[in-house]
Amino acid sequence: MDLDAVTPLAKEFPDAIVVLTPAGRVVHWSPAAQAAFGYSTDEAVGQTFDDLVVPGDRTAEQRKMLADTLSGGLLAYESVRRRKDGSLLYVDVTSKVLEARNGDEAPHILSAEKDVTQIKVLRDAKLMDARFRDLLESTPDGIVMANPTGHIVIANTQAERLFGYEPGELRGRSVDLLLPERFRHAHMGHRSNYFLQPRKRAMGSGLDLAGLRKDGTEFPVEISLSPLRTEESEFVMSAIRDISERKRFEHALREKNVELANANQAKDRFLAGMSHELRTPLNAIIGFTGTMLMKLPGPLTADQDKQLRIVQTNARHLLALINDLLDVAKIESGKAEPNLEPVDCRAVIEDVVATLRQQAEAKRLPLHLELPAHSVVLQTDRRALSQIVLNLLGNAIKFTDTGHVRLSLSQTARDGVRQTRIDVQDTGIGIPLQDQTRLFGAFSRVGAPGARAPEGTGLGLHLSQKLAVLLGGEISLVSGDGVGSTFTLTLPDTESNR
Amino acid sequence: MARFLIIEDNPANLELLRYLLQHAGHTVQGATNGPDGVAAAEAQMPDLVICDLQLPVFDGYAVLRELRARPASAKLPIIAVTAFSMPDDRRNVMHAGFDGYLSKPIEPEKFVRTMEAFLPPALRLQARTEDA
Repeated sequence: MDLDAVTPLAKEFPDAIVVLTPAGRVVHWSPAAQAAFGYSTDEAVGQTFDDLVVPGDRTAEQRKMLADTLSGGLLAYESVRRRKDGSLLYVDVTSKVLEARNGDEAPHILSAEKDVTQIKVLRDAKLMDARFRDLLESTPDGIVMANPTGHIVIANTQAERLFGYEPGELRGRSVDLLLPERFRHAHMGHRSNYFLQPRKRAMGSGLDLAGLRKDGTEFPVEISLSPLRTEESEFVMSAIRDISERKRFEHALREKNVELANANQAKDRFLAGMSHELRTPLNAIIGFTGTMLMKLPGPLTADQDKQLRIVQTNARHLLALINDLLDVAKIESGKAEPNLEPVDCRAVIEDVVATLRQQAEAKRLPLHLELPAHSVVLQTDRRALSQIVLNLLGNAIKFTDTGHVRLSLSQTARDGVRQTRIDVQDTGIGIPLQDQTRLFGAFSRVGAPGARAPEGTGLGLHLSQKLAVLLGGEISLVSGDGVGSTFTLTLPDTESNR
Repeated sequence: MARFLIIEDNPANLELLRYLLQHAGHTVQGATNGPDGVAAAEAQMPDLVICDLQLPVFDGYAVLRELRARPASAKLPIIAVTAFSMPDDRRNVMHAGFDGYLSKPIEPEKFVRTMEAFLPPALRLQARTEDA
């Protein structure tokens, strides 16, 4: 339909003039429509009006307005349109049916659409200012409220300062102004979705969102959106927080973490290397001491035999020290994973006792065992458990000259939780109260200086306690100077927890 | 009596292993780096190869790959003897395809018998003497 032919004034009219078929297809698109919506006449004619300028959440409304116009002949309403660039605008619409001139043509619909965005924003701004200004000024965050077309109706002083604008300067502007170019498209997507399902939610948590200052500089922000409904309209309130400081902190933390991980790796490499380098010469020392003690090169005098055994004992001691150190380092770096399996505690204890019985007998020390008649099976690490029992029982024999050593295995309930305990009691030299706290430290030898030549690696109890913790238990001690000691390993009854 | 090849770059440790095996009555050939070890293995076709992991030129894993790659030496039993004794090391060694793993320091009293366990019974010396 050539409207220009009908009335040349249509071309000059300041409001957008469009003519649609009853199905909503564009047949006329005035120069003011080009200016208002951004589509040229060539682009618009032949397209569906809905596809061009009606936002997704308004299509049902638009369809109804067309139907009402067709049935009533004339209609005035308010609506929202979407420009070619995606931005939204408010329009006041007057639509009217153009009756068919000759019988074979269907009636068309003529619409005059007036952009009232600015008028509406300023009216809303005035209203919101009166109602919310005092409240908004009292919050620490920058607050920006926008209407459904994304125009700012109110921004508090904190927001103006955050983005570098003069008081009142943001009113009526698009919120896109506050976002860097690369976020604008995504932001529009956010906004139309947001109005379809308005609920409180946070933007920028998880994604790196930036704010754009008036001077063009950017800063990291976190934005929390919440809907605000008034009788007039629906608004989106954005609470904006400058997180530059936090970002700097997070960055520093990340760098520190990388440094730490590198340092840890370097430590692991160092430990592996150290272990290798220490073992290599020990191999020759222990090896050739062994060949001589095996008398492979020839017979030995009594002195040679004795002295070679001292070399052998000390070389083995050095090896034990290296092994214990590596175990401690592994546990401390959190690398040690207990290898959990059903373990028969009674069998483990019997194995350890078999290893140490000779030592006790050599000192004529009675070794009493109190084991339950039934087997005690725990979900635990066999090697760690065996190492702990070996250490506790070995110490008891080592530090007791007269009396006895008693080992008992029992199951108890404490605070309704079943526990397994292994008590190793001796009648040895005992440990004074003041020494007990540092007993589990590395290389801490207690007792009178020089009273006893150091035996063991000085890591035994330290390592045992760490292993006990690794198994979910602990080692405790009851002792006194001269009254003997009782070390107790308590383990959770993991089997019954399953 | 069996023929051993020891690939080990540390002279003291090569001497120790050689001494223990020779004293037990075996014959021992030595090599001190990866390529020499591979060449010696192919030339001599020993009954058992004892191989250190950290070696000059190329390491024990490369020795293993080279020998396994050739049909003639693919089935040679190869034992890793190494001072790498972190928990992962044994797993890595066995996963790579070595026939056995022994960590240093070795126990000289048990070494010969441990190695002989990888030999066919006819070639064993110590086990036989002790059984007798």
